[in-house]
Amino acid sequence: MIPRRLQYVIAALVVAILAMGAYLVHLKRKAESISAPPATLALTAPVSGPAEQMTLYVASDGEDSLQPATITSALPGDPGERGRLALHTLAARYLEKDSEHPLGAGADVRDVYLLDPGSAVVNLNGAFAESHRSGIEVEQLTVFSLVLTLKAQLPQLNRVRFLVDGKNRETLAGHIDLTGWYDVALVTEAAKELK
Amino acid sequence: MPKAHPIAVRITIVLLLLTAGFAAEPRRIAVYTPQTNYQVDILVRDGVDYVGVTDLLEPLGRLESRANGSKFTLIFNGNAADFQDGKRQYRTSSSNKLELASNFLVIDRRGYIPVASIVQLLPHIADTTAEYHAVPRRLFVGSTQFRFAAELRHGPSRLVLTFPVPVNPSSMIEKNRVRLIFRREPVVSNGADSVSYSGDPFLVSSSFSEIPEGAEFIASVLQPAVVSVGDGGHTVTISAAVQAPALPAGSAGQSASQGAANQVQPPTPAPRTRPFVILDAAHGGSDTGSVLSANLLEKTVNLALARRLQKELEARGIPVVLTRVADNLLTWEQRAESANTSHASLYVGLHASSSGHGVRVYTAMIAPQQPVQTNRSFLPWELAQAPYRERSDTAAIALAAECRDEGLPVRSSAAPVRPLNNITLAAVAVEVAPLESSAGQLGSAEYQQKIATALASAIAKVRGKLEAAQ
Repeated sequence: MIPRRLQYVIAALVVAILAMGAYLVHLKRKAESISAPPATLALTAPVSGPAEQMTLYVASDGEDSLQPATITSALPGDPGERGRLALHTLAARYLEKDSEHPLGAGADVRDVYLLDPGSAVVNLNGAFAESHRSGIEVEQLTVFSLVLTLKAQLPQLNRVRFLVDGKNRETLAGHIDLTGWYDVALVTEAAKELK
Repeated sequence: MPKAHPIAVRITIVLLLLTAGFAAEPRRIAVYTPQTNYQVDILVRDGVDYVGVTDLLEPLGRLESRANGSKFTLIFNGNAADFQDGKRQYRTSSSNKLELASNFLVIDRRGYIPVASIVQLLPHIADTTAEYHAVPRRLFVGSTQFRFAAELRHGPSRLVLTFPVPVNPSSMIEKNRVRLIFRREPVVSNGADSVSYSGDPFLVSSSFSEIPEGAEFIASVLQPAVVSVGDGGHTVTISAAVQAPALPAGSAGQSASQGAANQVQPPTPAPRTRPFVILDAAHGGSDTGSVLSANLLEKTVNLALARRLQKELEARGIPVVLTRVADNLLTWEQRAESANTSHASLYVGLHASSSGHGVRVYTAMIAPQQPVQTNRSFLPWELAQAPYRERSDTAAIALAAECRDEGLPVRSSAAPVRPLNNITLAAVAVEVAPLESSAGQLGSAEYQQKIATALASAIAKVRGKLEAAQ
């Protein structure tokens, strides 16, 4: 027979385990609700100032191509913010209904950090990677369009690294490497092979 | 104090079992066939071990399978078998009433048979016999297993193991023990599993046993030992490191002075056919890759394409090795390691995508670099491909040109595709997309064959250049 005291201890432990499990589920749901991205993104960022030209490199799946598109917008003075706005605008374009390179709902660029004028870290949100279509070409088009668009805003840029929700990720969606730094010169060279 | 607490003990046992269960490696069956050796993952359902019937048969020949609701039809080299989910009975072209040891399972449109029924099924569907050793989980298809002879020879004392076919075991030499592990060879017991050598100055005893997915031979020795493989891999000799130089096979009658003339020879690796190409069917297991259509996964197309390409290359006399031959998961690092240790000249990663049209050929996105001059140099893992970029470009150009000649839309570029950067031989990745708007074309045998023929033809053309560069 188990002594009554031991029975109480075991029962208390079981209750504690169940309570902790329930609390963990609660915390997970809460975290998911906090990080859940908006279904759609605004096309223009809330910045004021003189309008300037911004070049986006827009991917097209059908054409296997990256085409420059120039838009005019008020741009922030801070280079990191400027880069983030450019990538945010690019992501928003891919979320449009008739996009030729659609991204999953909620895909966005959270932050662009400049470590120095030549090195940028791009922090994508979870939806960007989780909902991205899998395939070498579609992933390559996405990464190349992000790098080239950022380079267009930050001419001194020579390397870019990607994080997803602030963390390292092995591949974007199963194929294209996200573990290391992208050499902007190599991306520019490789992109010439695209139409 | 009470003597025992049954409930507390049970809880502890359950927790320990759960922990052990989570930590356990996935169980596999090692399959030895006349054509190739491979491993198949075991799936446990209701305490019964199952294997995927396509995983089991695909490496052995032409296989088609169809899942229609609970019905599952298998056609292997023209022999058909009809199964039903949850039923033990099945029928084949030759027999109407056959029964599995447990119910047939259909999971995610894939068919699973009980491991205990493999030996019964193979003669009906593959026209071949099979023998299954349940404890070590080794399946021998078509009498592939072989036995060995162990002979203690003197002057100096040594143990010579003789095999009917070449072997290349891995050896672990400890102070008083030598372990030979046979992972690839279907070697089985010769009837004398444990032998004692009383009075011998070098050998104490030896034992043979089958271990999970392999076999091991252990010799207990009194002195430090060396292992040498000779006679083209037909003999393995265990001898004392200092006193007993390794002798060539068949030299049992040699005197000590004759043996001394040979002195200690380094172990001679068994000769083998070096593969020219290593084909890597991307994804596998829980990593499905791209979902190409409602019932077509990238991992399946990649493997089917790899198999077709393998046959096309072998028909052209080009030795091939595959990183995976079944639906199993490999990490990118494992794929790169397989390629780097294969001694092949060309790595081809195979992918499929529903996006775009035709064929895309990729090389690593890495700056070319001169080959390393000394073998003391180390390369960062992520730059391992750099010295091989030019060879990779040569292969990519040839592949693209041949596909173009076949009338396939083709594009080639550099791309940061895993694991190209980590491969120390010419390396390309090929992504195949449909010509039509429907991704279903990727599953068609005709389209896969067209691609495989073009790729094989290109590889045959570029073989001379790559081998010369190597």
